[in-house]
Amino acid sequence: MVVSPVLLIAVPLLLAFIAPLCGKAAKYIPPAGALFNLILSVILIPTVLKSPMIVSIGGFPPPFCINLFVGPLGIFFAALISLAGFLISIYALSYIRERAVGKYHTLYLLLLTGATGVVLTGDIFNLFVFYEILCISSYALTAHNAHWHRHGTEAAVKYLIQGSVGSAFILLAIGMLYGFFGTLNMADLAKHIARAHSSVLFIPLTFFIAGFGVEAAIFPLNAWLPDAHSVSPAPISAIFSGIAIEIGVYAIMRVVFTLFGAPLSVMSVLLIVGLLTLLVGEICAFRQNNIKRMSAYSSIGQIGLIVFAFGLATKSGITAGLFQITSHALSKILLFLTIGYMIYSIRMKNYPDKYVTEIEINSLNGLGKKMPLTSLGFAIAAFSLIGFPPFIGFSSKLLIVKAALLKGGIYAVLMGIALIATVIEGAYFLKVVQGIYFRKGEVEGIKENNVFILVPFFILAALIIFAGIYPGILTKILNSSSGELLNRIGYIGRLPG
Amino acid sequence: MRKLVSIILLGALAFGLVQAVKKIPFGVQKTKVGKYYVERGIEDTGSSNIVTSVVLNYRGFDTLGEVTILFAGAIALGAVLFTGKKRIEREVYPASPILSTACKFLFPLILLFGAYIFIHGHLTPGGGFQGGAIAASALLLIFLGCPGRKTDGRKTRLMESLGGIIFVLAGLLGLAYGGFFLFNFLPKGTVNNLFSAGIIPVLYIVIGFKVASEIAGILDNLFGETE
Repeated sequence: MVVSPVLLIAVPLLLAFIAPLCGKAAKYIPPAGALFNLILSVILIPTVLKSPMIVSIGGFPPPFCINLFVGPLGIFFAALISLAGFLISIYALSYIRERAVGKYHTLYLLLLTGATGVVLTGDIFNLFVFYEILCISSYALTAHNAHWHRHGTEAAVKYLIQGSVGSAFILLAIGMLYGFFGTLNMADLAKHIARAHSSVLFIPLTFFIAGFGVEAAIFPLNAWLPDAHSVSPAPISAIFSGIAIEIGVYAIMRVVFTLFGAPLSVMSVLLIVGLLTLLVGEICAFRQNNIKRMSAYSSIGQIGLIVFAFGLATKSGITAGLFQITSHALSKILLFLTIGYMIYSIRMKNYPDKYVTEIEINSLNGLGKKMPLTSLGFAIAAFSLIGFPPFIGFSSKLLIVKAALLKGGIYAVLMGIALIATVIEGAYFLKVVQGIYFRKGEVEGIKENNVFILVPFFILAALIIFAGIYPGILTKILNSSSGELLNRIGYIGRLPG
Repeated sequence: MRKLVSIILLGALAFGLVQAVKKIPFGVQKTKVGKYYVERGIEDTGSSNIVTSVVLNYRGFDTLGEVTILFAGAIALGAVLFTGKKRIEREVYPASPILSTACKFLFPLILLFGAYIFIHGHLTPGGGFQGGAIAASALLLIFLGCPGRKTDGRKTRLMESLGGIIFVLAGLLGLAYGGFFLFNFLPKGTVNNLFSAGIIPVLYIVIGFKVASEIAGILDNLFGETE
């Protein structure tokens, strides 16, 4: 008997409802839920690769009920979310000690559930519902530090306002599609849209891209991101950068490719937007003095590169984009977690009763000797983000370059511009690494001895190096995933009746 | 300049919206899905309120998600307002006897009305969300009319969680018995009877309690004051 993929959503949701009743033990619930999801999604991968699973909910034939569409793309994202969620929640076991700890863990698990729901569902309104679960938990988690400094509240309110406007656009777009075609099932909608006149479709498509674009932080909708990512506690910055914004990209791509069939004009716009996002993100990151803001802007840049790769709209381009998502998720999570531990240690030493989540780059000078493992983790993450071999970032950037050259012509020129941004990225990350290892700092008496924090570093670093040396392990599932996005007819054909 | 750009953008947005909405046919029965619900709803679900059959049966998964959004919102508010300090007792002045007596008189009636709405969700207009909100308004009346009374935060949180747990467990039971998550595994009974429509009334009662305790919890959070 095959296990139903609906458990990937139901079990974490059940655990999230149980968490508030558990008091102090609540912190063990997110790792348990994420581990369950990780195991289940890995078990499901072989079945899904053979043929996608359609799971109807409630027992009526789609499109009359909601159904999950568990294809290679969905299960790949589900596995990535649960892997990231598991490692970050292990880290958070000892990192999150202050403020509403129980509520933090409940919201964190809800965030993971929302993200999993978005990638697995086959119904556009259901996608919106899970997207809202993801967003509302994100708004609250941004403000986790609000009591200690007001920046937390400010960032959360900024995020809340922009996110809500974005959600309103999505809801309007869904309403219009329902008005035109009288159905919410994505396969059914895609079938109708394929026959519809393009003048009807322009407004909903624009609204979808604008709405999901806020979460995906594409330029110029990303004003909330640097604040939200830098003031939130390290595990939250990590899950935002590693998972949440990627879910925004997933939603855009699902809508553009599967629903609207990726018209060339839209893809060209996305390609240019991606390139702009990349350049703006990297240039802003270069000018930052604050290490977390710098990393946050670097996330914008990386998202730009991902959107650029998807914008190529070829099979190799999409595969490269998905590879870049994996690479960015692993590397950026490791980066934010190591930075978080460094800041935490410095804070405990210097101002034990103040709550600090941000710190100047210079304060990290000389940490290489005091915190060798953490610094090594930081260096691996930074090198992988820049794209040095043998780390995973190298493989993903190489794939993007290959995909752009394969398409040739103007795309190769645009790729050249994108590579300039990578050089900028290299400049600012190497500056920090140099400071950590070769500059003298005033850090004394700092030790790293927390196993719960160091184990996720080790696993992430191992994954980054392993997938960098053997990129082939990801190729099969990523190829099927990009095939799923491009094969719109196949997606429609899966709809029974 | 900034204002001008905003006005132009807003104008373009409004124009686009009007253009798009104009193309939606009005008053035509053309939606396949909607027609199916109207024609098959009662037979499929046993609920004579078709809106309820859509909300809890055909699209029950969305409702589970919406319940979760409310839950996340309530927790989020608690997390944002968390100060880590002890709550202080507010100085309260007793309300006039007319006000407090009237509140006490109305309180059970409003609760009863709320309960009626959510228990009969599968038969008459309304349901768990509406009934729960009405029940919560009874609590709000007591908060305002009889100062000093409040709900026990631990109990409202317990109710919230239990509501969610029962909803998911009902879904999982459906998966175990019928092979589909949220499958209506209880007998559907005779249409228009109180005991009909399988799990729908059960879920609506759960949602009613959950929504009422969630709103009461939110109110309690907002009424609170710390040092």
